[in-house]
Amino acid sequence: MQEMIDRLRSEASAAIAAAGDDAALEAVRVAVLGRKGSLTGLLRGLKDLDDTARREAGAALNVLKEELSAAIEARVAVLGGGTPAASSGYDLTLPGHAPAPAGSRHPLLTVLENICDIFHGMGFSRDEGPEVELDYYNFTALNFPDDHPARDIQDTFYFNEKVLLRTQTSPVQVRMMERREPPLACIFPGRVYRNENADASHSSEFFQVEGLVVDRAVSMADLKDTVDTFVKNFFGASAPTRFRPHYFPFTEPSVEVDMQCILCGGKGCGVCKQSGWLEIMGAGMVHPNVFKSAGYPDDRYTGFAFGMGIDRIAMLKYGITDIRLLYENDLRFLNQFRGVQ
Amino acid sequence: MKISLDWLSDFVDWTDETAVLAERLTAAGLNVEGIEQINKTFPGVVVARVLEREKHPDADRLSLCKVDDGTGAPVQVVCGAPNVRAGLTVLFARVGAELPGDLRIKKSKIRGIESFGMICSATELDLGIDGAGIIELETKLPSGTPADELFGFKDTVLEVEVTPNRPDWLSHVGVAREVAAIYGTKMSLPPVFNAVQGGESLGMKVRVEHYADCGRYTAWGLQRVKIAPSPRWMQNRLRAIGARPINNVVDITNYVMFEMGQPLHAFDRGQLAGNAITVRRAPKNTSVQTLDGQTREVEAGTLMVCDEKGPVALAGVMGLGNSEVSEKTTEVLLESAFFNPSLVRRASRRMGLISESSYRFERVADWDMVERAALRALQLLQEHAGARIVPDWADRHDPDHRPADPLPLRVWQVNRLLGTAVNTGQVAQILQRLGLKVQPMGNAESISAGAVNMMVHVPSHRRDLLLEVDLIEEIARIHGLDQLTGRGGYRAPGGAVRRQPDVVRERLREWLSACGYAEIVTSSFMESGDHDKLALAADDARRATLAVVNPRHGGDTQLRTVLAPSALVVSRRNLNAGATPPLRFFQINRVFRPGQPLGREIRHADEALLPAEHEYVQVAVAGWRDTGLGGLPCDLLEIRGTVEALAGHLRLPLVLQPGADEPWLDAGASWRVCTADGRVVGVAGRVAPAVLAAFDVDGPVALAEVRLDDLDLTPAAARFVPFTRFPAVKRDLSLLVPSGVAFGQIQDTVTEVGGELLELSELFDIYRGKGVPEGNAAFGIRLKFRSGTGSLKGETVDAAIGEILAALKDRWAIETRGL
Repeated sequence: MQEMIDRLRSEASAAIAAAGDDAALEAVRVAVLGRKGSLTGLLRGLKDLDDTARREAGAALNVLKEELSAAIEARVAVLGGGTPAASSGYDLTLPGHAPAPAGSRHPLLTVLENICDIFHGMGFSRDEGPEVELDYYNFTALNFPDDHPARDIQDTFYFNEKVLLRTQTSPVQVRMMERREPPLACIFPGRVYRNENADASHSSEFFQVEGLVVDRAVSMADLKDTVDTFVKNFFGASAPTRFRPHYFPFTEPSVEVDMQCILCGGKGCGVCKQSGWLEIMGAGMVHPNVFKSAGYPDDRYTGFAFGMGIDRIAMLKYGITDIRLLYENDLRFLNQFRGVQ
Repeated sequence: MKISLDWLSDFVDWTDETAVLAERLTAAGLNVEGIEQINKTFPGVVVARVLEREKHPDADRLSLCKVDDGTGAPVQVVCGAPNVRAGLTVLFARVGAELPGDLRIKKSKIRGIESFGMICSATELDLGIDGAGIIELETKLPSGTPADELFGFKDTVLEVEVTPNRPDWLSHVGVAREVAAIYGTKMSLPPVFNAVQGGESLGMKVRVEHYADCGRYTAWGLQRVKIAPSPRWMQNRLRAIGARPINNVVDITNYVMFEMGQPLHAFDRGQLAGNAITVRRAPKNTSVQTLDGQTREVEAGTLMVCDEKGPVALAGVMGLGNSEVSEKTTEVLLESAFFNPSLVRRASRRMGLISESSYRFERVADWDMVERAALRALQLLQEHAGARIVPDWADRHDPDHRPADPLPLRVWQVNRLLGTAVNTGQVAQILQRLGLKVQPMGNAESISAGAVNMMVHVPSHRRDLLLEVDLIEEIARIHGLDQLTGRGGYRAPGGAVRRQPDVVRERLREWLSACGYAEIVTSSFMESGDHDKLALAADDARRATLAVVNPRHGGDTQLRTVLAPSALVVSRRNLNAGATPPLRFFQINRVFRPGQPLGREIRHADEALLPAEHEYVQVAVAGWRDTGLGGLPCDLLEIRGTVEALAGHLRLPLVLQPGADEPWLDAGASWRVCTADGRVVGVAGRVAPAVLAAFDVDGPVALAEVRLDDLDLTPAAARFVPFTRFPAVKRDLSLLVPSGVAFGQIQDTVTEVGGELLELSELFDIYRGKGVPEGNAAFGIRLKFRSGTGSLKGETVDAAIGEILAALKDRWAIETRGL
């Protein structure tokens, strides 16, 4: 019996798919589901089986009947789309008139907003700072000593000895702490600048989101949790993260945060350079000297900070292979990001 | 930084395979970015003897040789090297040999003569730089010996990223220390020369002008030095990590630097004038020739090493050509010193000269390594350069130099900062593995708030450990950052605050994209000619820009003061790419205006140096050539409509007044965007044709820019006003409007005369042509009347319309046209 059911399933499905118009489809329907149809015949034959076999075959036949009815209906919809509706005489296949032409959001800023939304949900407030910054806020207050090689990490555009284009969103940390007492939980999105030549993965202008939390006893474990929560919310998967010790003058301990490669699941691929990991942000515990810059008393607070490059995250999310595409504003690129992202 | 594992294994043992070692180093903070396998082999290349050499019959510079490659029968080969001659022992690539660069040796015919192989030069085998031509080997080597036996080597090289705080990792010994800490094993230091004090005098006086500039300077004498290539193993290791072998003396100084992290410098003693070395600042600007052959300007105040005549080295950066070790050198003065990191860094940066030496000195070298590294170099020089060591040596060092003070450590603070629950014993053990000395304090086990549990002594190679928190980082990375588990994420007490301008900006973006505009992100820089292209007046305040003093090569320098150029560039790009007009773009972006008020609270005196950052919303419609209502260009109508709708969306009472005072807009097709009190906050209109031409845009562009930070983006919430339930009466008028009368004038009149009963008046058509006298236009206007007190009677409406028509006729000579 099961064999006959299987054969009927494949034959009938093929016939439905092959039906080129309504009439042909109707013929198939009659041949299978009609009063003298093959499936109907099998149903009739059930009475000759013993109890167990009848129950099983009956259930199977009913499933098949529903499957085939659904397939016929689906086929009707497909075939029907190509024919004018008779009742009104309207050509209902004519294009509609949109209330407005289709515009688009830039993927970079969409990602930036998505990230801010996630942190907002975790209780972070949002603020911004100037893009043309004092050397003091961009470096000195962040514990980059004068004449120290740490300044070489970031190639900087200078206007004069005291004024530069910020190389990171971190100066907003100090500006915020100068104005407010903890507890603080803030994010600072914005544009940053590095004096380097553009290639597929570097741009001299790009975007970051900075995070800062300061309270009486926040710890590195809290940082890890916060990062994990963000990754889970943003990438929609529970991709594991790892902390790698690193160096930033304004955090101590400092780490780089890697996320298991979302494209290969950690097996190694071109995007993660076979490592199985993707670097997504730098982070760490706020350095005591930064608290000093902010005018906070020694030892009273602990805090963590993190910063991530939005461009890279947008590229990962959308599979964009060249960062320059983000700044060329070609409609063939922009139009691909229409709709809810 | 490259680390040779062959070299590393001189100092420490590990059992893991390379990939695991790399992972563990990365997890400890020494990020391994790449693993390179070096397997230098020379398949098919053997030692051979040149039996005969004669001139090639058809080529002056080629030789025809017969070589014995160990197979018995002499092999005929054509050779182009000038130094080939009978009796030489050479490296010979047989037919079928594979050379670096995927070169496969085949039987060939050179100028009519068959050649069965190739006699190789150093370059061809990637063994160094060619001297006279082909490599000349020792004559006693038997023919047929595979080149692999002489020159082959295998190594694994780690490419590691060394952060600026860890100069100790810029050497093999330093990385060996880390490996030992990771695996909890011991490491050993390289062997050194056991210097004998006293005896023969160095004959050289050393003077350090200021110990603040140079904390320690040692000089060592070597005699009877024989300059020659360094031993093959040393060359292999240097090449493996990307350094270029030069000669035994120079290679040994480099080798010791890569091994122990201490830069050394070798002077040709014979070239040094007099018998004194002084470390001092340059008194005035001078020009010197550095080892790399370049002439460089040295600023006054730069730290120099000088002989009795003048400078012989830029301290810690590079030696000078005047005292360079050469093939003729027989006596060497070896320098090992500790230079002030900031001075080295400044000199290196001012001269654009970054050397392996300056890189290490500016990151702070290891004080304790100064002497030991010199002794290691002496040992190697004695062994591989035949040097006789002068037993005496010169040593000047800061008498006030002290080891770093021990750091107090609170286990309470470790756990507070990391969110861990480690105890004193665990902490002490981790620190000891890192080579730090731990001295228990007070009640070592008491980890109550603020209690100091131990004092930690930091060795001289870890001068990055300055604070308690630095020790906590060491504990974190060795304890393992993957051990951290917390409370499920920090939540700010009091919850998040969302600033209204952020909300409004985001809604505005959503709305503009829903209206059909594509959001763009454009550079904050402008091109140098943009202000001229925009036809800005010479005294236009927007010509004052901030310019970066160190732009990228060919990059723009000025920050933009106007957004308009970016929209024109984007329009041009997309029109040229064949996009179908109309093209619609928008952006919310900043311009930078020096000398303008900042509009924010100032805490730092220098903030006056910063420009104001004004934020604009810009909308653009490009390439639309159609005309619409009243014969106006469609893009002009749309840009006006967009600005009006935008004002509505922001609940701001903005109005457009004809004629923008903006040189890049067409004066007859533009508006000022004003607030209710008449303040101009933006412009809208068509870009002037000359400006379009200057920006090379092939098509019209309508633009609007409104300054957002000048607007109140926290408008009051809507308030409900009760509406009347009595019906409205609609009437359509067709007016014959003489030329010169504007719709706005008609509308003002209608509104004024219509009074309270007139609820709405709107234009629905403009017609010119048949039935309308030349020069006139027929305006179709819809009026809607309603009363708040009762249903309107026909005659009341008729009376109102009568008044309106009379006023229109009276003021503007407008006639009614039969409908």
